[in-house]
Amino acid sequence: MKFTRRTILAAASATALLAQPFAAAAQELPGNVRLVIGSTSTGGDTYQNSSIVADALSEHLGINIKVDAVGATEAFKALDRDSRGTTLMIFHDQSYLGNLYGVRGYQDIFENYTVGPTVAINPGNAYLVPKDSPYQSMDDILTAAENGERVRVAIQPGGVSEIGFSAMKNAARVRAPGSEENIVAVNTGSQSDKNQAMWDDLADVINGSIQANEQFTQLPEDDQKAMEFVWITARPSTLEQAPAEGMGDTTRDELLQYASPETSVTLDGEQDFTFDKEFFFLFNPEMDPAIVEQIDTALTEIFEAGEIQERQKASFFIPNFLPSDEAREHLQNKRGTYEQVIEEISTES
Amino acid sequence: MEFFDLVTPLFLALIVGGTFVGVVFGAIPGMTATMAVAVCLPLTYSLGLENGLALLLGLYVGGISGGLVPAILLGIPGTPSSITTTFDGYPMSQKGEGEKALRIGICASFVGGIISLAALYLFAPALADFAIRFSYVEKFLIILFALTVMGALSNSMLLGIFSGFLGIFISLIGVYDISDGGNGEIRLVPPGTEYWLEGGFALLPVLIGLFGLAAILEEAERGVPEGHSADTVKLGKSSSFSFSVFRGQLVNLVRSSGIGTFVGILPGVGGSAASILAYSNAKTFSKKPESFGNGEPEGLMASEAGNNGLTGGALVPLLSLGIPGDSTTALLIGAFTLQGIQVGPLFIGNNPETWNAMIFAMVIANIAMFAMMYFAIRYFAMVVTVPKHVLFPIILMMCVIGAYTINYGIMFDVWTLLIFGLFGWLVVKLRLEVAPFIIGFILGPSAEVYFIKSLESFGDLTIFFTKSWIAMVLWVLIAGSVIGSVMLSRKRRTATEQPA
Amino acid sequence: MGDLTQVTIDFETSHLVFPTIIGIMLALLGLAILITRRHEIAHAGAHWRGVFDRMDKVRFLGTIGLTVLYFSLMVPVGNVWPNTGLGFLICSIPYVLLTGLLFMHDRRPRKTIPVVVTALVAPTLVWWLFTDLFFLTLP
Repeated sequence: MKFTRRTILAAASATALLAQPFAAAAQELPGNVRLVIGSTSTGGDTYQNSSIVADALSEHLGINIKVDAVGATEAFKALDRDSRGTTLMIFHDQSYLGNLYGVRGYQDIFENYTVGPTVAINPGNAYLVPKDSPYQSMDDILTAAENGERVRVAIQPGGVSEIGFSAMKNAARVRAPGSEENIVAVNTGSQSDKNQAMWDDLADVINGSIQANEQFTQLPEDDQKAMEFVWITARPSTLEQAPAEGMGDTTRDELLQYASPETSVTLDGEQDFTFDKEFFFLFNPEMDPAIVEQIDTALTEIFEAGEIQERQKASFFIPNFLPSDEAREHLQNKRGTYEQVIEEISTES
Repeated sequence: MEFFDLVTPLFLALIVGGTFVGVVFGAIPGMTATMAVAVCLPLTYSLGLENGLALLLGLYVGGISGGLVPAILLGIPGTPSSITTTFDGYPMSQKGEGEKALRIGICASFVGGIISLAALYLFAPALADFAIRFSYVEKFLIILFALTVMGALSNSMLLGIFSGFLGIFISLIGVYDISDGGNGEIRLVPPGTEYWLEGGFALLPVLIGLFGLAAILEEAERGVPEGHSADTVKLGKSSSFSFSVFRGQLVNLVRSSGIGTFVGILPGVGGSAASILAYSNAKTFSKKPESFGNGEPEGLMASEAGNNGLTGGALVPLLSLGIPGDSTTALLIGAFTLQGIQVGPLFIGNNPETWNAMIFAMVIANIAMFAMMYFAIRYFAMVVTVPKHVLFPIILMMCVIGAYTINYGIMFDVWTLLIFGLFGWLVVKLRLEVAPFIIGFILGPSAEVYFIKSLESFGDLTIFFTKSWIAMVLWVLIAGSVIGSVMLSRKRRTATEQPA
Repeated sequence: MGDLTQVTIDFETSHLVFPTIIGIMLALLGLAILITRRHEIAHAGAHWRGVFDRMDKVRFLGTIGLTVLYFSLMVPVGNVWPNTGLGFLICSIPYVLLTGLLFMHDRRPRKTIPVVVTALVAPTLVWWLFTDLFFLTLP
């Protein structure tokens, strides 16, 4: 007999078929689960968050869960390949923002995957200016745009980093139609690239985060690296849950000064635009709904026990558990809002 | 103080263990320090940054040093950097002075290692401080300089530069990464392969393929020659070595270490150039150049001090500019990225504990190397007799683990390993050069971003000349390296044309 | 003069700029190599014939063949027991054994013992180390 790849594959899949009924009958998470995440960094917020959740879940359910930082494209591929519940995914708003901004490799998650429960928020998304900048507030920036001054904002295009920028343009449009043209993007990459763009005077405003940039806001004004927050995009209700001591040498009350309603970037002239980076599960669409239910129940019990919240807060995450159905509705609404913002600024330009 | 918290028994054990494994790898002909690091890389994933580096730096120091064992005992360089060690080491062992030669080599290696480490400690932070002021423009020029230097020092400048550009070209396959500031579109991807090639080829599988798999394929091509049986190894009497051989050799040792360190600092130039330069200089300045090649300890010292001088030197551009100094440090870049740390001008300033831990690990590794090899050299000498048919399959398997686990489980990375294993074999046959290819492959994506962003920000090609005086200096250096290499190749040609 | 050096890069197509430049450079360098080394290139056929004549074809091609087989089987086998790394273990044992035997010159039974032992011990040890101790994903 010729041992080709095909015959072996056939043999292997036959074995897999035989094993199938057992897995199907159990209707719950298998004993060894791989949790892929949309980031390739094992030091980043997605990884930290996912490992907190994975630890809690594996302890609660008595199974093994490995977090693998394979990155968005590979994570979606891995999820596509497996409907047995052996592969799960955790990612954040980038998963649908990438799709809204038309980035390669991002499909509509609400159509192609099952959106699962949310678990936490990273409240840190922020915009900063140099300490000696002529713009000391969002109002200064929007006024400058209105007066025809070009304001350059360093962002990483195509997702979480761009949405606040889109909101700025939108606010400028609401305030003085046409002035959004004066808010221009400087497309950069990582956080250090954005910082460098500011220090090289290639950008007037940069996207950053409370966690990564707070240290620079503590520098004296004559230091070339000194920065200052102008806007924190989080909802006030989110930020209020942060530890009172805040981050670094900036207290929660100080942080609140930069967030809505104190700092207002309007959505439509009445409401403020806000953005919270929420982490949630994504599942293969063909995965047994019983598994989704099992995860929902387990997480409900974990969050009721209250221990996970402490771990999340210790890493400056805001606990944010919503079971699958609520999470799906909430995220769909959120996407609707952002879709409109992005449409408004692109049709009028 | 945080630094002392890092120095745990595990940390020390990893350095010593790494050094030991490195020496073993170095001692086996056909296996290199780079391969040792490549194969052991997956071990570091769960060790954390400092502990992982402790292991890798131990492997690096050990691997470079271990090469002298087969060079002296069998006349076969264990690693390319010990080619010149065979010139005088092997004749010595044939004269029955094997153990003496080994010990001379070990002492010289130690001196070379320590001197280059001092240079690293003093030089890297200063260079990094300076490089912090570099913008996209200067960073792009630095890469251009690295490419021309490495082309200039290749056997053929044209083929060297071609290999470098080929490396860049292949590194650009796939998406123009958004997280680097790109627009997320793909290019150079053949139709139908988007599913796999969207993200391009991952760095570490490429390196493991080029250095691990390719080396084994080359051995397989040659029929995996049997190892050497114990009786071909001539150690000689252990009593004949004494430190008095080093009398009057201080200048030689310091000069050779200095040359090694300097060559290490030049990007992309491996250990063979370091030891060859050190050796030929020692010969030029020696009072008895005629005895070189017939078992002259002076030549042995120059060679070994030179190739170990490389270790510290090669880390200078890595830690201050983010540009690897040789192929082994290229793998270290991978180890850093794995831990989420970007190496570049900000590295030392932002991670002083890691920096101190690295220096400390290098010191310990050198001491461990010396102690181990000096006192247990008879046992290490037996390593050259380990059968390859036992060793190679394990190495192949470790390469697979390394490639698969590097990005947390992507099967295409394993196929990348095979593709570049075959490619590495082919490159040698085509007389292209691996080292410039690697440097091009590593620096390609950054070169692109710096180049494009410079133009996006300034919109004018002249910015590359007018940005700052640093840019001008870099252009002078680039021109100098090109002119220098042309002159060097002329000289080489006339030298080969004249009958010796 | 100033206008000649002016460049505007359209972000939408910026992914093509650098590859094009590098492609042109490669073509130019390739051409230069072709011209300066035309004699060597003309004799490339002989060079490759020599390479293949000297090659140990069984060991070289055998290694490649076994490796391709090994890589192809790992994932399907591993999929039967997801996320346990068993695909790696089950495929590695025969792979290490067969490559070991392939590389051997003297295949008398007594001499194969170390190879068999390695093939059993090494993959198992590595598998245990990576899945249990380091908690990493293997196929």
